[in-house]
Amino acid sequence: MLAMAMSSYAPYLPWTDRRGNLSRLRLTVFLLLLFPAARIFYDLAFGPVFPEPYEQALHQSGNWAVRFLLLTLAVTPVRRIFGWNRIVGLRRMIGVSVLAYALLHLGLYAAQENWNLAKVVSEIVLRFYLLIGFTALVGLAVLGATSFDSAIRRLGRTWQRLHMLIYPIAALALFHFFLQSKSDVTEATLMAGIFALLMIYRVAVRLGGKIGLPLSSPAVLAVCGGLGAAATAGIEYAWYALATGVPARLVFLANFDVATAIRPAVWVGIIGLGVAAASLLQILARHAGRKMLPN
Amino acid sequence: MHILKKRSWEMPEREATPESVFLNRRKILAGLAGTGAIAAFAGTGFVPRAAFAEEDPSSGLYPPERDASYTLDRAVTPEDVTSRYNNFYEFGTDKQVYRAAQKLEIRPWSVTLDGMIDNPQVVDIDTLVNKMPLEERLYRHRCVEAWSMAVPWSGFALSELVKMAGPQSGAKYLRFETFMDPSIASGQKQSWYPWPYVEGLTLEEATNELTFMATGIYGKPLLKQFGAPIRLVTPWKYGFKSIKSVVRISFTDERPVNFWQSLQDQEYGFWANVNPEVPHPRWSQASERLLGTDERRDTLLYNGYAEQVAGLYKDMTGERLFM
Repeated sequence: MLAMAMSSYAPYLPWTDRRGNLSRLRLTVFLLLLFPAARIFYDLAFGPVFPEPYEQALHQSGNWAVRFLLLTLAVTPVRRIFGWNRIVGLRRMIGVSVLAYALLHLGLYAAQENWNLAKVVSEIVLRFYLLIGFTALVGLAVLGATSFDSAIRRLGRTWQRLHMLIYPIAALALFHFFLQSKSDVTEATLMAGIFALLMIYRVAVRLGGKIGLPLSSPAVLAVCGGLGAAATAGIEYAWYALATGVPARLVFLANFDVATAIRPAVWVGIIGLGVAAASLLQILARHAGRKMLPN
Repeated sequence: MHILKKRSWEMPEREATPESVFLNRRKILAGLAGTGAIAAFAGTGFVPRAAFAEEDPSSGLYPPERDASYTLDRAVTPEDVTSRYNNFYEFGTDKQVYRAAQKLEIRPWSVTLDGMIDNPQVVDIDTLVNKMPLEERLYRHRCVEAWSMAVPWSGFALSELVKMAGPQSGAKYLRFETFMDPSIASGQKQSWYPWPYVEGLTLEEATNELTFMATGIYGKPLLKQFGAPIRLVTPWKYGFKSIKSVVRISFTDERPVNFWQSLQDQEYGFWANVNPEVPHPRWSQASERLLGTDERRDTLLYNGYAEQVAGLYKDMTGERLFM
């Protein structure tokens, strides 16, 4: 009986494929997605007791929600660049984990306010950055609720359009990240920069397609990486210039002082060039593999 | 006959929990139990490392006698909580800067008094603490980030230092400045911040009875993460006003622009008096987390020191007093 029930549910488990067989790739990704949450709960229960017990967990849950959101947006570019089609089957699982981390983030905020729910609600309504974060969470909930096979079938083409919402949701989440920072927006800038790089890949697919330059071309990828770094520096400059009294010019110049610190724009450049290098290696390896085949 | 009138927020000293009791980590873990499963694991908590007590030439002066007129409405926050949760941007932007802050070299150290005063001087820290009437005071401390602690500071009233400086008639403000040394304070390598940290008070605020120069805490010299060897304490203002590791106090007729004001004028101002009714642009100031506990408390106007300081601001208009 139990075995029967198990087998009928098997295809719906996160670590099985459509036929209900165990997929090592899916299991690995599932465990990786769970790991930060396990860390957060472990630290809450056994870690050093912080004077503000929920602060660390609150920040970490938000950080991971944003990181996994960017990971879902990386799925399509990775598939295009490396021709790795199986990755598309992982996107839903990653996307649902974004919603889970965002809900955990909200729950930890309520815990930090000692479950004074009236205050939680009034704070969300009154504070712009919380309202923005909450809006993003509502958006994620809508996407999560329409993630079931039946919903995808029922909504048809509307589903595609609806799930384009992930872009404005990502923008809201990143804006929330910037707004909650006290004065140091390094982490938020890095995430915004990676988001920019992923958007640049999408633009490159559109433009490159017209002139016969695929995204998998290392040269195209290197240009994208450079543009991503520039966009990151631009976002950071704009933030400091518009939202703070910090001299944005000095922040910009600090990007060139890599001996003191590797700043977000430089990191995005490194990531972009790293992707280009990986694509080049893949092409070379394929080439070599073909040569070795007996004619 | 001298009659002590009890103020609304006062409670007898005997009700304040002694530090030694609070150093027991289990109690803090157990305090978290109200939130759920953590109760089951109380007792497995981490063992506090030895305090950072170090040879300090002034350690013989501590603890000075406590001024019993400064009492608390809450328990003293234990040292192992307060010494591991600090804002000290010179050493990094996270709260666990206590390790990095140990690089601070606090001897030799001198404080420069200059500007519009009769007796400009550079005074060595050990000369200063030996000269000043040291006392211990229990103060609440309210951070602008909506957390608070209560600690026994040792030090002296700033008014004593003002007397020593001899302000001239035109002097209206005190401008405080902290050390500048990017080679030990890596945060100061971030060239876009307006280092060194600057804070300011009006002369009236500086000579208020509450305004304190702390040189010690918990009955011993200041730990470095608290802003050794000498820092300002203004308990009715948000914590960022209480500048750490002071090297210069200038008397001036110009209102100083403090560090946070120059970074974020919309959020942090010159006055920064505590007021639960006036929210920070991004969050409510109505309540505060008592550090190291699971308790949130309603924040008090002027952090509960209205009786001593409200008069300072009585006739002021057009000023952002609570930001």
